Amino acid sequence: MTPLPLNAFLQGFLCMGQLVIALFFARFLRKTRDRLFLLFALAFLILSLTQVGFLVIGFSSERSVFVYLARLCAYALIFVAIVDKNRR
Amino acid sequence: MKPIVDVLCLATSLACAFLLLRSFRRNGVRLLMWAGLCFALFALGNVVLLIDEFVYADSDLSTWRKIPMVLGVLLLVHGLVAEGE
Repeated sequence: MTPLPLNAFLQGFLCMGQLVIALFFARFLRKTRDRLFLLFALAFLILSLTQVGFLVIGFSSERSVFVYLARLCAYALIFVAIVDKNRR
Repeated sequence: MKPIVDVLCLATSLACAFLLLRSFRRNGVRLLMWAGLCFALFALGNVVLLIDEFVYADSDLSTWRKIPMVLGVLLLVHGLVAEGE
């Protein structure tokens, strides 16, 4: 049996883990209707999709900067969600 | 442009970790602690990314930069399962 490359395994783990987290927050959103959970769910969905982006584009490609930009947007969403919640 | 994006990713993940942990200290909601630790580990992963790309550019730290993020995801999933209700 050919050993699975560790990087690919970790990347798949991250994709799935972040998707699961997004689903948890989506469930909280359904219960509470709090936009904090909407933003968190969106952010982790984006983070999950960035792993797919790296798979398609590659880490070393020049276009990988767009995937990192998506990751930055996800972090910014989280930041905005927390600041927004603290102000309410 | 990529160095700027990488540094901004580090800064925002650190800021998120700080805000979440500060909120945990004020409110005592344990889910905030798990989320804060998750983002602290994401920030660590971003630090390793910066080291990989700009300090040790000849080596490959791609596995090492994923490990903190995997740990962060594990912590947050644990927190969501344990504290989610």
